[in-house]
Amino acid sequence: MRRLSGRFRSALIIGLQGIRARKLRTLLSMISLFLGVLAVVTVQAGASIAERALMSDLELRSAYDGTLMIDVMPHAKSPGIVADTVAGRPDAVSLIFTQAIIGEPGVSPINPGAAPFDQGGWGSTEVCDPSGNCVPGPPTGEAIEVALTAVSGDLLTFRPLRHVSGDWLDASTVPSLSPRLVINKEAAKGFESHHVPAEMRINGAKQNVTPQIVGVVDDGDIQPRAYVRHDELTNWMPATALNDPNFGMPIQVLTYPGGPVEQVLTAKLRGAGVESYPNLIESRKQMEDQLKLMRLIFLSMAGLVLLIGVAGILNVGLATVGERVEEFALRRAVGTPRSLLAGIVLAETMLTGLFTAAAAIGVGVAGLKAVSMLLGDSEPLLANVQFPWDAGVAGILAGIVAGVLGGFIPALRAAGIPIATVMRA
Amino acid sequence: MNQPMIDLAGISKVLKGQQEPRTILDGVDLTVHAGESVAIVGRSGSGKSTLLSILGLFDRPDSGSYRLAGDDISRLPERKAAKLRSSHFGFVFQRFFLLKHLTAAQNVAMALVNGQGWLPRRQRRAQVMEALDRVGIAHLAKNRPTRMSGGEQQRVAIARALVREPRVLLADEPTGALDTETGAAVIDALSAATHRGCALILVTHDRDHAARMGRTMSLVGGVLTEQVRV
Repeated sequence: MRRLSGRFRSALIIGLQGIRARKLRTLLSMISLFLGVLAVVTVQAGASIAERALMSDLELRSAYDGTLMIDVMPHAKSPGIVADTVAGRPDAVSLIFTQAIIGEPGVSPINPGAAPFDQGGWGSTEVCDPSGNCVPGPPTGEAIEVALTAVSGDLLTFRPLRHVSGDWLDASTVPSLSPRLVINKEAAKGFESHHVPAEMRINGAKQNVTPQIVGVVDDGDIQPRAYVRHDELTNWMPATALNDPNFGMPIQVLTYPGGPVEQVLTAKLRGAGVESYPNLIESRKQMEDQLKLMRLIFLSMAGLVLLIGVAGILNVGLATVGERVEEFALRRAVGTPRSLLAGIVLAETMLTGLFTAAAAIGVGVAGLKAVSMLLGDSEPLLANVQFPWDAGVAGILAGIVAGVLGGFIPALRAAGIPIATVMRA
Repeated sequence: MNQPMIDLAGISKVLKGQQEPRTILDGVDLTVHAGESVAIVGRSGSGKSTLLSILGLFDRPDSGSYRLAGDDISRLPERKAAKLRSSHFGFVFQRFFLLKHLTAAQNVAMALVNGQGWLPRRQRRAQVMEALDRVGIAHLAKNRPTRMSGGEQQRVAIARALVREPRVLLADEPTGALDTETGAAVIDALSAATHRGCALILVTHDRDHAARMGRTMSLVGGVLTEQVRV
């Protein structure tokens, strides 16, 4: 062990001396290798950033990776069971989906069916009675329709909604009689161009209410959507009215897999004869499959560029060994074993690879910073983006591997130089 | 009588080239004791360097036995030979073979940083300075070879050979590239090593330098014979 340590140190010391003595050759090797290592660093950094962005988008639309999403099918008992089970629990939140029209009274919304504003209407403005007789609805006016999500707790624990402006719903305060809304960016776009008087109409509500918009978030949804505290909404309407057993959407419960909420809720629902479908969010797994092939293709291309760099190191390494025949023969004469001679050459090429990796990583970091500064405003993905550490590790590994590969043949040649070279010189 | 440091018996070496095999050494016998100095003289191509290669474990004899301090080292594997070269032998060549990018001290330290054990930096530096001091050029420790005269460079090479306190010093025409006066000083430096019990084998063309050694051997036609001094 001690002998190995001595040899390793000797190889490093002599390798560094060799690099200092042949700065130009080292620089030439570094130049030939630089692009290859930079390609590896760039591919790895790009893949990591893309992975983060994809992951972030997926989680934004569904929930954090590993969250258990339980869809509770519409049923007369569903709202009550869900509300009882998740009430006051920090480890679960329920989402009840409905629709609301916010705007001037007595008019049809400009986007029936809560359609995105650039897509016209998704539904009809006709008004139908319970027996199915429909008559044309009122004329379109200054009102917009939003998808309304009533949340029972702090949704941000389970979904990384991005803050845009204002506040998020504060679940710790007394419910307000004027329901507070946090709208998404699409809804904000609608309110920006349609300054509507605030009246909110929800099917099943005892009367129309005046909402207060307290914040804007980015939830990745293309539909205009508003989030509201469940308890503030049920001030004005029975909880059962929020979830029509015939036409309503499933109630969603977000919780941790294997936790008490999952067990209690599923037991209660089963007892009441309500169907529920648990679904574990596995965004990373889903995304990795998508990214794997892309990363493989780009890494193969980077590997090819790296191979050209290896060829450069090999070329310079062979030339250097040829130039240092007497030095290596002399080193053998003073007792240096062949393995150490090979180690000296490998140490030099490996250190060259490491220096190149450091340079490539430095350029990568600076480049990313520059791109982030220049394009960060227009591309949120690139704003304040940090250089991924795994790209740095990949660069260092690429540098070391290229150094070892490029130095392998020169090392063998150095180890094979006969000592007699110094005797017959 | 003491056990000889070097004991060659019936050493033969045949050079097998493209043409007919040529006998370079033919049954060479040589015994050298610790502290003894021996000059080997002979014409160019007489096999002096081949003999030195075998003595320095650079090469192996085809036949015969080579004992170092009683141990048979005729067929030593390369790994052990390298270790022995480091611990028992010092080499001085006609061309000094100093590395231009290293200082005198670093050139001497080369014999210590050779993977055969590890010395702490302080101890290494002390040994290097002592070796340089022994050949009278400690003040040039930080100079690079390009800023030294031929004599000074050869002294650095001698310091490199002595730094590990070798038991055998092999010198292959060490004064060949030097003027008479400088050459004499180099021989002085080499001879001084014998006072510390080191065996010195000097290959030379110079009769005067040979005469300063304890014995002179002549290599003619692959056969080594002792010259009788008058």
